[in-house]
Amino acid sequence: MIPPFEYKIPNTIEETCDLLWKAKGKAKIIAGGTDLVIGLRNGDQAPSVIIDITRIEQLRKIEEKNSTLSIGATVTHSEIASSPSVRKYGKVLSDAASEIGSPQIRNVGTIGGNIVNASPAADTLPPLMVLNAMGRVISKEEERQVPLAQLFKGPYQTQLKPHELLVQISFQKLHPEVKSSFVRLARRDAMAIARMNVAVVFQVEQSRIKDIRIAVGSVTPTPQRMSGAETFLEGEKLEEKLLKKASLKVSETMIRQSGIRPSTSYKQPVVEALFIRAMKKALEE
Amino acid sequence: MITFMLNGKEIQVEVPPHWTLLRLLREKLCLTGTKEGCGIGECGSCTVLLDGMPVNACLILAPKVEGRRVETIEGLGSRESLHPLQKSFMDHGAIQCGFCTPGILMSSKALLEKNSQPNREEIKEAISGHLCRCTGYHQIIEAIEALKE
Ligand SMILES: Cc1cc2nc3c(=O)[nH]c(=O)nc-3n(C[C@H](O)[C@H](O)[C@H](O)COP(=O)(O)OP(=O)(O)OC[C@H]3O[C@@H](n4cnc5c(N)ncnc54)[C@H](O)[C@@H]3O)c2cc1C
Ligand code: FES
Ligand code: FES
Repeated sequence: MIPPFEYKIPNTIEETCDLLWKAKGKAKIIAGGTDLVIGLRNGDQAPSVIIDITRIEQLRKIEEKNSTLSIGATVTHSEIASSPSVRKYGKVLSDAASEIGSPQIRNVGTIGGNIVNASPAADTLPPLMVLNAMGRVISKEEERQVPLAQLFKGPYQTQLKPHELLVQISFQKLHPEVKSSFVRLARRDAMAIARMNVAVVFQVEQSRIKDIRIAVGSVTPTPQRMSGAETFLEGEKLEEKLLKKASLKVSETMIRQSGIRPSTSYKQPVVEALFIRAMKKALEE
Repeated sequence: MITFMLNGKEIQVEVPPHWTLLRLLREKLCLTGTKEGCGIGECGSCTVLLDGMPVNACLILAPKVEGRRVETIEGLGSRESLHPLQKSFMDHGAIQCGFCTPGILMSSKALLEKNSQPNREEIKEAISGHLCRCTGYHQIIEAIEALKE
């Protein structure tokens, strides 16, 4: 059973910031609620006020501006998956959104909730990291832009203050020739939260790799860019042998960050294979 | 007090904000056709349509439906005149214990309203958020497929 709380439904960002400020840390934002309601049920969360941000029109838009694409915090996974502009300019994100949970979860769960919940397995995070996405954060005190990668402190922890609201995420539109892919490994096909996920974007120029970005989720405390493998691959000639070597750099990073664990002997070959699969999938598309 | 459309009729009901839509339907409005299985979004037995979209009623807090349209299995057909989906499920042996059925019917309805010619993959995707421990899904897929126009 869920314990009682007060429920507020603000219509504007300003109103939300006021409510958050007045609550002095005792309020929780609700977007879709697919993570929060479970937290309330389990007793992991016991806020005295819940602030529902899904009626704020400004947070529900996908907007193109010159070279950037912005997605409001309460845009749902279903909306992202069916948006032609996200498909065109950030296919890696659109692919991830279409694989999350189930239709029911995607119809309700939001990109902002996925980010702020900060699960190491969250499926939109590796794509957002390879897109170098920025988050816009607002509070009564200030407004700031944060590179998404810097938002995460640890599993289920962000550096957002309790009175801050994530408003939108934006990234530079990808050019049509950029290759990208998202692959994930889940316990069951639908529903199961990915146990591992990989996103890559890169270009190929005269059969050499250029501007490669790789991010992996669920194998480190927070999803991470694999800078070792990125540096190793940059400017190199694309070959099967090279990918194999790069995959070892990926698993090295995992072990350096997470240490050797009982699960390492299982995860190491899997993350290597998943990375290679992601590269090949990007090349095929 | 919240006001919303329930199976085509506007209703007003007093409900504490920490109640889920599932609890509101079952305990206050006595609409027990919507089932509670896992309570955590995994099984789909609590599926209802919110503005025409399938959602897990166990994860929706009651105030979220203010001003919106909710459809439950009770609005689908009646004992006297079954909805074509209900009839097709019976004809194809797609119902065994029946616990998953109301939820799957609601997802099927949403699918057919959006796409009257779904292929097998689209049908499988539409019911991927439902667990059925009895049928093995095959008969369910056939029952939905039979309604393609
Ligand atoms: C059955 C099931 C399957 C799932 N499968 C997947 C899966 O495959 N992949 C995956 O990645 N996730 C999965 N999830 C997790 C969840 O659905 C997603 O993380 C979803 O995107 C969360 O969004 P929400 O809007 O529901 O968040 P909420 O539950 O509303 O919020 C989550 C957290 O973020 C905070 N928050 C939300 N929005 C903001 C904001 N704008 N500013 C500041 N704080 C905010 C809330 O206070 C809360 O702490 C699954 C969940 C369930 C129940
Ligand atoms: S009871 Fe809601 S999904 Fe299982
Ligand atoms: S018929 Fe028994 S769970 Fe589906």
